[in-house]
Amino acid sequence: MVYYLIVCRSLTYAQRTEAVLSRAGITAHILRAPKSVDSEGCTHGVRVSERDLTAALVVLARAKLSPKRIFVFASDGSYKEVIL
Amino acid sequence: MMTYLDSAATTMQKPATVERAMAYALTHMASPGRGGHVPALLAADTAFACREAAAELFHMDDPANVVFTQNATHALNLAIKSVVKPGDTVVVSGYEHNAVTRPLTALGCQIRVARSPLFEPQVILAQFDRLITEDVACVICTYVSNVFGYILPVEEIADLCRRRGVPFILDASQGAGALPVHMDRLGCAYVGMPGHKGLYGPQGTGLLLCGEGQESTTLLEGGTGSLSARQEMPDFLPDRLEAGTHNVPGIAGLLEGLRFIRRKGEGTVLRHEQALTTLAAEKLSAIPGVTVYAAPDPALQAGVLSFTVERMDCETVGAKLGEEGIAVRAGLHCAPYAHESAGTLKTGTVRVSFSAFNRKKDVERLVQVVGRLAVQTEK
Repeated sequence: MVYYLIVCRSLTYAQRTEAVLSRAGITAHILRAPKSVDSEGCTHGVRVSERDLTAALVVLARAKLSPKRIFVFASDGSYKEVIL
Repeated sequence: MMTYLDSAATTMQKPATVERAMAYALTHMASPGRGGHVPALLAADTAFACREAAAELFHMDDPANVVFTQNATHALNLAIKSVVKPGDTVVVSGYEHNAVTRPLTALGCQIRVARSPLFEPQVILAQFDRLITEDVACVICTYVSNVFGYILPVEEIADLCRRRGVPFILDASQGAGALPVHMDRLGCAYVGMPGHKGLYGPQGTGLLLCGEGQESTTLLEGGTGSLSARQEMPDFLPDRLEAGTHNVPGIAGLLEGLRFIRRKGEGTVLRHEQALTTLAAEKLSAIPGVTVYAAPDPALQAGVLSFTVERMDCETVGAKLGEEGIAVRAGLHCAPYAHESAGTLKTGTVRVSFSAFNRKKDVERLVQVVGRLAVQTEK
């Protein structure tokens, strides 16, 4: 299964993102972003499945919670940035 | 058994859920944002739930604008030092606490005081109207006098500030939990409040509510669990103002306090406290030699009441009540401005203050003992 990581600027924003998505019926999980995806260190993100990504972005745009960056979790275990 | 009438200092009786939540946090929760393990995530969930509960209660869109502080003084210092620069002109009410006036003095501010007699909201409004001129950097006002329970017309003062483009800081130390705080309607730059008074959380907790787009100044710098590679503090809330490990047991307790207030419903605690205040005012006023500072219109007074006993120092009254197992506060209550406005700076007052947990029998006990003390002074 393909997952996307929506990187948020803080833990609180990740929590807000998760809450907004959950209220919209989209399953989302907070996790600490891998060091490789953010050079600034100690970043949190929200994981959503591929089938939910588009709906998630619409919901987040409506809630004015713009993602900092988005990564796709590749099958080899690495993360690749998604340019929207 | 102790009759506790000092809730303006801290509400000592808390909902049972507060203690339980704190005990659970002590043994099950780690540091929010500092790990991906279960105890850290549980702490993070609790902190976020607390921010959300506060945002809902105080009508805010973004829970990230709810900042945890140690107490109201900490919150007010953050607010003041974010808005006010050294030497600025600031307008305050004549009922402010030292938590406001001491930081302003330390900053070397020109303090303009909107003085007015007790329980005359139109007079104080006129004073604010006169004093808020274009050279004013900030207006700060308490919601409720911590000495006299006087409810100030803060919505109207906020409106004046909005129309004149002057930032408004509200000290909701005695109002939060009992009186409505509508951040969306007030348009405040900041609102500071303790978590351990009308919100029924534990001591060591406070909240700073930040208006949208405020550029906040840090009092502390350090780890935030975010942007760790950078040496500057994050520019986003709440991280910017929350350096160091959180008081997680305190936050867990505060969350339960907020839930308690929500369950009670808006206005319930205020009505209960006002009923006790009115009863105490009526009964104490009937005792010869006792002067009570009560509002002619009870709607202007929250659950705080001051009085003095003729020929007896207020500290003596407080001590004697304490010996009888009645906890009150005597003196100036860290609010010399308020005493100056009310004309009680030389004598101080004895203050009783109520919470949701007080009952009529507490007032009856107080009146009985004060009555006995007043008779002794006549002899």
